[in-house]
Amino acid sequence: MAQERQERSSKRRRKRHHLTDATKPNLLEDTFPYELPPLIQLEGPVVEYIDGEPVEFDFGAVKDRDLLISDTTFRDGQQARPPYTIEQMVHIYDLMSRLSGPNGVIRQSEFFLYTKNDRETLDRCRALGHKYPECTGWIRAFKGDFRLVKEAGLRETGILTSCSDYHVFHKLKFRSRRQCIDSYCEIVDAAFEAGVRPRCHLEDLTRADIDGFVLPFVDKLMEMSRQVPEELSVKIRLCDTLGFGVSYPGAELPRSVPKLIYKLNRECGVPSERLEWHGHNDFHKVHVNAGTAWLYGCDFVNTTLFGFGERTGNPPLEGAVFEYIAIKGDLCGIDTQVITELADYMRSIGLPIPDNYPFVGRSFNTTRAGIHADGLRQDERIYNIFDTGELLGRPPRVAITDKSGADGVTHWVNEFFGLKGENRINKIKVHKLARWVIDQYDEHGRLTAISDQEMEVKVKELMPEYWAKYKGSEK
Amino acid sequence: MATVEERVKAVTARVLKLSPDQIKPEHSFTVDLGAESVQSVELVAMFEEEFGIEMDEESALAVETVGKAVDYITNACREQDVEQ
Repeated sequence: MAQERQERSSKRRRKRHHLTDATKPNLLEDTFPYELPPLIQLEGPVVEYIDGEPVEFDFGAVKDRDLLISDTTFRDGQQARPPYTIEQMVHIYDLMSRLSGPNGVIRQSEFFLYTKNDRETLDRCRALGHKYPECTGWIRAFKGDFRLVKEAGLRETGILTSCSDYHVFHKLKFRSRRQCIDSYCEIVDAAFEAGVRPRCHLEDLTRADIDGFVLPFVDKLMEMSRQVPEELSVKIRLCDTLGFGVSYPGAELPRSVPKLIYKLNRECGVPSERLEWHGHNDFHKVHVNAGTAWLYGCDFVNTTLFGFGERTGNPPLEGAVFEYIAIKGDLCGIDTQVITELADYMRSIGLPIPDNYPFVGRSFNTTRAGIHADGLRQDERIYNIFDTGELLGRPPRVAITDKSGADGVTHWVNEFFGLKGENRINKIKVHKLARWVIDQYDEHGRLTAISDQEMEVKVKELMPEYWAKYKGSEK
Repeated sequence: MATVEERVKAVTARVLKLSPDQIKPEHSFTVDLGAESVQSVELVAMFEEEFGIEMDEESALAVETVGKAVDYITNACREQDVEQ
């Protein structure tokens, strides 16, 4: 029967496809505008089966929702490395604020509060006077720690409310789930008393008993929130602590990102603006899971700069920024060039960023193949993801190897001299340099790429007339 | 004085490291004479130098045979008023 149904359905869907002949290219610029990252155009409704019932999600409305990014570079990010100095954190915060723009797309950043340095960092960041990112705290689930939050004058703090039985029983040593929930609720009460909004971090959510523990706990939190002013009501952070979350439709709880959000958002009634996704990259799913969380009803995704965080890291902040622009279809006041500035700064203070890391790695838009270089030479859109020169201050480049060919060398030379359009030098004029490159490999057996510095020396030697014309005034 | 064809053959022989006697007008630079990508660019550059002319990159690189190169260069010399 099933096979018959499948065959019937397959016959129904089969259809002929006719060529739409064209003499002019259709570059699909509605989706690939080049001056922006490729747009993510969503249509709704999307149906997910939850507890056997079809549930609709209106993806068409996502564009108009108040999607936001929060940052944990100084908390989760810092847990993965030696501590930043105060000056470094203040500078990073300052740059993050510029990146965020006037609309505060990067809405919050969280800080430790335990040491004198933690508190001085917070004070100095706030002394910069930026509206965004708002500074929030992060404390353990100890009543006494609220004194720190209060003294720091923060309005919101994250508190760890671990929720899988791995944590409840094996780490925190509670005798029962009831005892655990009672203990967490005492902390939440203490937050209310201190006039601080608690953001409950549901640690290890994607490995927890959702129906048996998480939902009753969140029901209780919502009940408690109804007794306090709205600005104190509990926020919920969904922590995919070991990166077990999956975005696929049909995946089961507790790993399904869509279902987790549905349960908290619609069954427990936590509004989208009080839901935040916090992921980890143990299974390479971190960015997609964060994007999925946005689509299914979390307004906040929690990120770190360049994904640098505990173990395999968190959703990369800069990835979320481009996702945001792609969904919104607009820069929304975000200064994307600051991403490059942040990467340069982070490298300068010892953060390792792999060369092939998207958006900021040294080679993220560098091609080594001559045939790709030929494409770039004709129209950079052929092999560049978007206008990386405009949005990141990083035009596409070619790395010079035996595969570069005359096209690659020509592209390098034009980039080096900063020549565009009709001013670009053609490949006939770079033949001596192209020959030198080929000979490095064919005659001298070289196995490494040729550095920019080596190329520069050779351009000066082999193309003296162009050097004099375009670099003559430089020492 | 050498003809255009003789000069084209001489340049081709020098760039591709062949004897001029091996080169015939019907020979394709790439298929018969084995010119690689960079050598094709070098050939155009050397023809420009030999004849004192400027050649359009795209059309010059599209010339396939020695004989067609002779025609192309003859026309270019005439258009640019260069003595052959």
